[in-house]
Amino acid sequence: MRDARTNIRDALYEEPGPITKRYTAVGTAISLAALAVLAAAVVRQFYINGQLAPRYWTIFFRWTTWRFLGQGLLGTLRAAAMAGVVTFILGFILMTGRICNYRILRLIATAIIDFVRGVPTLLFIYFFFLVLPQLGIRLDAFWKVTLPVGISACGVVAEVLRSGVNAVPIGQKEAAYSLGMRETGIFLKVVFPQAIRYVIPALISELVIVVKDTTFAYVVNFPDLMQNAKVLISNYDAMLSVYLVVAVIYILINFLLNRLSDTIAKQRPRTLAAAELKGPTA
Amino acid sequence: MEKKNKMQDQLPVIELKHVDKHYGQLHVLKDINLTVRRGEVVVIIGPSGSGKSTLCRTINRLETIDSGEILITGEPLPKEGKDLARLRARVGMVFQSFNLFAHKTILDNVTLGPTDVLRVPKAKAREEAMQLLKRVGVDSQAAKLPAKLSGGQQQRVAIARSLAMHPEAILFDEPTSALDPEMIGEVLEVMTELAQEGMTMVMVTHEMNFARRVADRVIFMDAGSIIEENSPDEFFDHPATQRAKDFLNSIKDH
Repeated sequence: MRDARTNIRDALYEEPGPITKRYTAVGTAISLAALAVLAAAVVRQFYINGQLAPRYWTIFFRWTTWRFLGQGLLGTLRAAAMAGVVTFILGFILMTGRICNYRILRLIATAIIDFVRGVPTLLFIYFFFLVLPQLGIRLDAFWKVTLPVGISACGVVAEVLRSGVNAVPIGQKEAAYSLGMRETGIFLKVVFPQAIRYVIPALISELVIVVKDTTFAYVVNFPDLMQNAKVLISNYDAMLSVYLVVAVIYILINFLLNRLSDTIAKQRPRTLAAAELKGPTA
Repeated sequence: MEKKNKMQDQLPVIELKHVDKHYGQLHVLKDINLTVRRGEVVVIIGPSGSGKSTLCRTINRLETIDSGEILITGEPLPKEGKDLARLRARVGMVFQSFNLFAHKTILDNVTLGPTDVLRVPKAKAREEAMQLLKRVGVDSQAAKLPAKLSGGQQQRVAIARSLAMHPEAILFDEPTSALDPEMIGEVLEVMTELAQEGMTMVMVTHEMNFARRVADRVIFMDAGSIIEENSPDEFFDHPATQRAKDFLNSIKDH
């Protein structure tokens, strides 16, 4: 479909002319050259400091290294998935509080949202790691990561969900009212299913943040990718190589998540937005 | 077209008594009195901003009113809650912008009301929905999402969705105003059939030929008031007020 405007860039900028195209080509060439120089400088620096020595890298030829990292990766994925579930449930509850008819509930929900959005994740972790045990509450290391990470993200999730709910055209509700449907049914069967489709890309962006926040697992000794990486580093004294490999793994996870988000975002307009764009709103 | 002369004997389905409504300073409905009897087709016309759409929407309480009374089959329309929903379910509504549920297939659009509100078993609701879709000529599109259909098809689905609730009356709020010209006919055709089958209808429209052909009664509104109320032939041929004459002239010029 090259005929239609397929992305935001096409919609925001006019087709470049010959001069603009020349500038773009020259700019691209200069940037690439600068990047190459930079990369070479980095590698040279590593070489000078002996970071490229084989002993730092041969550990990645061993099966046990990968198995250990794989266990860590599994821990990261488990923690991120559970934190994602926690944050979605809490975010959903806060969002319903934020949009409900009772002023007092709205105020409470708004206050909680502002609080969790304002406090750094690490503070929540410390709360679960240091404060709760003093109160006699003992949790698994798994929950000491997933609960604080989930709580930390739920404020944003609540606001994202709310923006989706607000984006559903009023006519959808009116049609449901006129059928005699009740508020709860309308919300669950008409409004929310559409709202969630609008905000899936934003929710996945938040999931990326959740994945990154699970690296705080090292604080509570939960064996995630980061924690296992630290163990490798102290065993082999191979900081740079291990961190590089682990960084690449994190980038891959989040790259895949973002690709998923893009795929969904591209499908969305065909099912939802097109209908509303066609019909004028009275 | 056959005209129903014995209308006076029929029970009122919709009654508005001394209905008033303001938008802030603006008095949008002024002492509206209107009775729609079973089987009657009432067309509301008037210049834009005359309050005709607002009037139509108050009957389903999509617009609230400040004072006065609205009765559906003799029962006063409640302000909220279960009883309001129950009365709303008796009166169908077809919107200018169709308002089909964008995330549901055509079939699910039609079955949602019966299954959720009337507690009709899913299989039965589907069966009946297919019959209704066939009746309005879009049964072949049943599995698609609304966005895939033309405006005319979407509006016919919206009519089927209303019919699925077995309503006492259907409100049409400018049902053809958002349609491309070539699609208006197919929607009016379905509406004409409904009228002939005896459906009680209240309709805000700019389709004057359709109004003359199908309506039992024409209501002319201006500035929030009902100015004239007459049979279509009488209204279009001999408008009684200057305002109605001006309005009819203004649309004739095109």
